[in-house]
Amino acid sequence: MSAVRTEEFMVNMGPHHPSTHGVCRLLLTMDGEKVIKIEPYIGYLHRSIEKICENRTYHQCIPILDRFEYVTAMSCNYVFSLAAEKLAQIEVPERAEYLRVIMLELNRIASHLIFFGTTAMDLGALTPFLYALREREYIMDLFEMTCGQRLTYNYIRIGGVSRDIPAEFVPKCREAIKIIDQKVDEYMALLNGNPIWQKRTIGVGYLSPELAVAYGVSGPILRASGVDFDIRRDDPYSIYDRFDFEIPVRPNGDVFDRYMLRLDEIKQSVRIISQALDGLPEGEIKAKVPLKFKPPAGEVYSRIENSRGEMGVYILSDGTEKPVRVKTRGGSYNHLQVLPEFATDILIADLVAIFASFDIIMPEVDR
Amino acid sequence: MLSIVKGIVELVRGMTITGKHLGKHAVTLQYPEEKWPMPERSRGIVVLLSDKETGALNCTACMLCMRACPTAAITIDAPRGEDKKRQLKVFQLDVGICCFCGLCEEACNFSAIKLATKYEFSTENKEDLVWDMHKLQEVGRDVPYEARPKKKPAPKPESQSQPPQTVNPVAAPESESSEDEKKEGEA
Amino acid sequence: MNLIPIVAVELQPIFAWIYRWLEGLGLQGTLLTVVVYAGLGVMVFGVLAVLALFLVWWERKIAGHMQQRFGPMRNGWHGWYQTMMDGLKLLQKEDVLVDTRDKVVFFWAPVICFVAAFLAYVVMPFGDGLIVADLNVGILYIMAVTTFTVISLLMAGWGSNNKYALLGGMRSAAQVVSYEVPMVASILTVILFTGSLSMVDIVESQSGLVFNWFVFRLPFGPVAFMIYITAATAEANRTPFDIPEAEQELVAGFNVEYSGMKFAMFFLAEFVNMFTVSAIAVTLFFGGWQGWEFIPSWIWFLGKTFMVVLLLMLFRWTYPRLRVDQLMEFAWKILIPIAFVNLIVAGWMKYAGWYW
Repeated sequence: MSAVRTEEFMVNMGPHHPSTHGVCRLLLTMDGEKVIKIEPYIGYLHRSIEKICENRTYHQCIPILDRFEYVTAMSCNYVFSLAAEKLAQIEVPERAEYLRVIMLELNRIASHLIFFGTTAMDLGALTPFLYALREREYIMDLFEMTCGQRLTYNYIRIGGVSRDIPAEFVPKCREAIKIIDQKVDEYMALLNGNPIWQKRTIGVGYLSPELAVAYGVSGPILRASGVDFDIRRDDPYSIYDRFDFEIPVRPNGDVFDRYMLRLDEIKQSVRIISQALDGLPEGEIKAKVPLKFKPPAGEVYSRIENSRGEMGVYILSDGTEKPVRVKTRGGSYNHLQVLPEFATDILIADLVAIFASFDIIMPEVDR
Repeated sequence: MLSIVKGIVELVRGMTITGKHLGKHAVTLQYPEEKWPMPERSRGIVVLLSDKETGALNCTACMLCMRACPTAAITIDAPRGEDKKRQLKVFQLDVGICCFCGLCEEACNFSAIKLATKYEFSTENKEDLVWDMHKLQEVGRDVPYEARPKKKPAPKPESQSQPPQTVNPVAAPESESSEDEKKEGEA
Repeated sequence: MNLIPIVAVELQPIFAWIYRWLEGLGLQGTLLTVVVYAGLGVMVFGVLAVLALFLVWWERKIAGHMQQRFGPMRNGWHGWYQTMMDGLKLLQKEDVLVDTRDKVVFFWAPVICFVAAFLAYVVMPFGDGLIVADLNVGILYIMAVTTFTVISLLMAGWGSNNKYALLGGMRSAAQVVSYEVPMVASILTVILFTGSLSMVDIVESQSGLVFNWFVFRLPFGPVAFMIYITAATAEANRTPFDIPEAEQELVAGFNVEYSGMKFAMFFLAEFVNMFTVSAIAVTLFFGGWQGWEFIPSWIWFLGKTFMVVLLLMLFRWTYPRLRVDQLMEFAWKILIPIAFVNLIVAGWMKYAGWYW
């Protein structure tokens, strides 16, 4: 019977796999059900967004960058506008800043709702996904009402926002955030106490704070590992320093904490939005920016707290109307790098849970 | 033992939540029969607008939209006629390339191009996605729009290319100066 | 040779007529029996195929409404013949075959799965007297034949020569074998009180008031039912125990390489299996076809079964999926001890006579 032997085998998880969220390819080395090595392969969604931006004017870059991280396209619009404004020293009107904050936070909620749904779906619960999308629809409607699109907004521009909000926006927005606030409690009731859900998430995929910092992990994943860092508070941009909100931090660094932290963040975003709606001033929505926008020569890096961690844009300008170099930074790129570290004593089902809890979105990786 | 009972209670709680939804009415629509009302600002297909009285295109072939387009979906061919005025010969929109960003609408000073609220234009051939000006005009016939106030319709900036200091009278404050426009026109 | 008593009272004249007609054709003895049973088999098969199609539609509707969608709406009233159209579509689809497959195993896996799914209905009492054959080892027979499914899933996983499929097949083998134990233990609790393995006897021992249903025999009845329904969910490969085909992990598990009609066979078998475990649950715990007499017995049976199926659907669309090691842990460390303790308690109460 010495002929019986076992061997490791390799499985291609992706590029087309139900739970790789797009076209990420993970080459897994497996010992039965156990994953002993993970190698992420990227590049399946490469559309050379950075290179395209080098051939576009600053205004034209914004719709291109919408596609950089399409789940939170408002952040992409914003981070580029912020960089260009820094470069050209543009003062943004008060009302525009408030509108930007409202839109950014609404988009953060929408992104976290997607996260909630897809994570639940990856762990086998199919219904929460539909519930999350149902609530996300309120936000999409608000966006469509304001800027005309549901996904690629092209709303936040250099110097302000493209259009003022319609009259019915404020009451509808208040209603939407109220509903979402209630529904988040329902989600928690649906999943948090569920013993199956707890078994699948608690203690699974522990990411130590040291490792997270070493890999440049940011955003909710970093905070779920117990590192209290949020760009909104620690390197404030826009008018975030005026609002009263908390940065949720959780100590355990497992899948459950990463999931709960995002639900907590939805609640905090609701707080920010309701404060911003209360304080929304009248006035201009856009600073005077010429169509032929020519910032002075120089370089600038701007960063914001996106729903997937730090999102940054670096612009190198030579004083012409087109940037010489646009470099984008997305959180997912760093998060994908941490993934091989988890290949210790996890099953393929855990890998799916960890991948889902990282909320990786591929265009942010393949820019 | 207690944890088992607690687990069963939680499982039943989850089931009551989903079970409660069984009785609720669906929030979705049966798409081709029912449709959501589109918001007025919704950015759907790009159309060319016509003058409400004469029925002629509002477009003056200034090519601002072509230059504003980030994906080069718009192709305009407008050779200058004998009176040095541009005659719109070809206006093509490749719907397959268009990213519906709305920059062309914002660039236009003559209410000539707009992103209408229509969105059902799927075809089976890729070639059908390249729309010429007649089709764009046809689709845009019933699209409501507010014509921008034409203060001085006669002196178009292109027609007076000799004095370079002429400022486009209808241009919005943040829009481009006529100097740039002229440069582009000569190119 | 009298075959007539095994069919329902309502159908007896028709059967008597068919029987006489067959005799008139000159059929006798064994040949006649074979022909009659073959006819019964075709009947059961037809009923179940329709039921399975209905269940697919029903599941989609339930899932849709639970998620505040409509589900199928196009074909007929609320899409009632949607699944028939799907079946037709699958019939005419190309049967995509992998070159590296194990040809024999790959071909026979769906067939075995499909056949095994229907075998249990030989002893299933659909109504008062509506049973193909009242075997005196009825429930034992059911336990034996339903386990055939696992062989077919393992064959499918192996024959596909695909790593995902292989993992799925292995998972299904481990799962079904583990969950068979608590399932049998909970069924034994019932058999302890009926004293018979025959399905008809089991149903008749629960006649009378609702409190005679086994599920209401405190304290062991409800526990046995809960263990049974958990194990049955695992047996039918449904969420939260659907790890053999765990879509998000193994894409489609054992049937990843199957297409066309072969896939449809797996798919239909899954729904027939779901109906089977629900029907067994009704027979063992909910009094089978018993009910008020002004409603035909088979309607009682179907109605009760659909309620249990609804419960399984609620499970499926609410809960996340267990991990494979947690699944085993749950079976061996929680379910099986409880099932045996329950069995011992029930046996002791039976011995002491503390039951009604």
